Amino acid sequence: MVHTVVVVGGNRIPFAKAGGPYARASNHDMLTAALDGLVARAGLAGERIGEVAGGAVLKHPNDFNLTREAVLSSALAPETPACDLQQACATGLETTMYLANKIALGQLSSGIAAGVDSASDAPITVSDPLRRILLKASRARTPQQRIAAFAKVRPAHLAPQAPRVAEPRTGLSMGEHQAVTTARWDISREAQDELAAASHHKLAAAWERGFFDDLVTPYLGTTRDAVLRPDTSVEKLAALKPAFGGPEGTMTAGNSTPLSDGAAAVLLATEEWAAEHHLTPWARIVDAEVAAVDHPGGADLLLAPVGATGRLLARQGLTVDDIDLFEIHEAFASTVLATRKAWQDADYCASLGLDGPLGAFPDHKLNVTGSSLAAGHPFAATGARIVPTLAKLLHERGPGSRGLISICAAGGQGLVAILEAV
Amino acid sequence: MDRAVELLDGLPPMGAAFARALVPSRAAEVHLPAHAVRVEGIRQDPDRYAEYSRVCGYTLRDTVPATWIHVLTFPLHVALLGDRRSTVRLVGAVHTANVMTMRRAVGVDEPLSLQVHLENLRPHARGALLDLVGRAEVDGETVWEGVSTYLASGAHVPGEPGASSHEPWEPVAPVARWRLAADLGRRYRRVSQDPNPIHTSRVAARAFGFARPIIHGMWTHARAMAALEGRLPEAHRAEAAFVRPVLLPATVGLAVSPNDEGLRLAVTTKDGAKPHVIMGTGPAR
Repeated sequence: MVHTVVVVGGNRIPFAKAGGPYARASNHDMLTAALDGLVARAGLAGERIGEVAGGAVLKHPNDFNLTREAVLSSALAPETPACDLQQACATGLETTMYLANKIALGQLSSGIAAGVDSASDAPITVSDPLRRILLKASRARTPQQRIAAFAKVRPAHLAPQAPRVAEPRTGLSMGEHQAVTTARWDISREAQDELAAASHHKLAAAWERGFFDDLVTPYLGTTRDAVLRPDTSVEKLAALKPAFGGPEGTMTAGNSTPLSDGAAAVLLATEEWAAEHHLTPWARIVDAEVAAVDHPGGADLLLAPVGATGRLLARQGLTVDDIDLFEIHEAFASTVLATRKAWQDADYCASLGLDGPLGAFPDHKLNVTGSSLAAGHPFAATGARIVPTLAKLLHERGPGSRGLISICAAGGQGLVAILEAV
Repeated sequence: MDRAVELLDGLPPMGAAFARALVPSRAAEVHLPAHAVRVEGIRQDPDRYAEYSRVCGYTLRDTVPATWIHVLTFPLHVALLGDRRSTVRLVGAVHTANVMTMRRAVGVDEPLSLQVHLENLRPHARGALLDLVGRAEVDGETVWEGVSTYLASGAHVPGEPGASSHEPWEPVAPVARWRLAADLGRRYRRVSQDPNPIHTSRVAARAFGFARPIIHGMWTHARAMAALEGRLPEAHRAEAAFVRPVLLPATVGLAVSPNDEGLRLAVTTKDGAKPHVIMGTGPAR
């Protein structure tokens, strides 16, 4: 990259389960809160930032300019431009890379990457036939034409349509897709529950040691991630009934992420901009790669990051052993476990065109402050939660420490990035 | 001046006081209650605050806007004007001006002590003007002050009316156009709890000389402040002159221009020819 791009801070509001403390908040409200918290901490009130990129997966049509509107409600200068991007659960990392690339090319010297999602305030739409009738009626030139259009409305058309977290091509939910992968890769219930319990315990410990004091600002009376259960255990998780994969399934509400509300933001800049603003660079953005698998051709829907990881490491001349910390997004516990198995599977890696298996890494390098199972997973916000978390962890370890982020996304896609402490 | 303070157990319900405040007074001389009314440690209702933010167009934040604290003090306004010792009634009293100062950002989770008194009764060409002076405190620290000026039509106070302070109005080019739905008065009533039927009932509006219900001046004020959010310092001042009521439903314009210390705003007719509310904002003094 031409210019070094550094992560100099981040801020999010505590994440919460849908229908919880943020039930009355919109994407706009939460994104503004995340931005304003970052602005306050970094001393950016009234400042013109190069660009703000944000997005939401569940988005109301009148929120077409969600990020720009949040900027205008925030303490940033109104001359700060913004754009909306969306790549399902990879959104928060994709907005990071979009701005990092611009900064690297010299087009910007600062940027804020963000993501937000409210499963509480999800848009409800009308049925497709009713929508067509309403549009036709609005185009009608005479009352007769309007009446004729409305005469076609049938009772069945009137049922509102709630958004589904389902793949349009298969009609299967993310959990149902992952259940296929879980069975195919022979991921045990015990391993999933162990990973989920560890995620809660690690996130709780990080909160306890004050790690999130400069990464999170309270919102609407919530001061810590409301999904977090510090006292959960493998035994408690083992008592839960399967949620996906039928009666014999191994995936439960405890080892799957809940529908969540939350927002997160990352402050990116050149080293010069960071110095001018007296901000400490935590880590530089090294590189990233996006990938997709053959969907719905039968590939594992949530394993697309595997191919991206292999190509990214190869391009950077790195191996798994060169990475100190791994942040593998816990869409489901079994996603992380299947991903690690896939990295070690020579045949699978060969099928992706990789030179060989990526290899294994020790557990203590994985999601060291917990991940989405414990924090919650507001889809578009997750990437923007992980980037500053990892950047700060690498900074604590010292210069040269490397971290890898792997995020799976709907549609059989995935995004992987490498950060290095400066 | 030492003023007797009547400490209330909680915010008074507005129904009965409002009914009393609507009964015309037959007294020849104008009398105002001299005491202040006060409530302590009022907890803000987060659900009502969230709905208030939605209706007025504010982003839902941990810190509340000045207009919300005004809404919280409103039951004390009604209690004072509904007091037996008050000859000024809400009947025929028109909210003509409002000045608020936020001394610092106030959290929705902070319990507030609210106090309001009446003062500054003065003659006006069409009656008498009086000020409802309120303040909100957190642990003894004044965090918000508000002065609401009402015109009591037909009331007589000796003396010469002061000169009108309005600058002459120059037509403006609005930068925004808002469409105010017919049910806006009803939606704002739910969050403001202002039971005045002039805002919701065509019959009541007619009785007071308006063809249709009029939207609350404080909604219009709040909506304009919401359009500016992010521009105001945490400690700020906002002044509003309610010049002409907005009849619902309506399409109105918003004009914004910089002034000496902040921004000048005007909610106008759609074309900007006539003002409804003229506002000024700036840092707290």
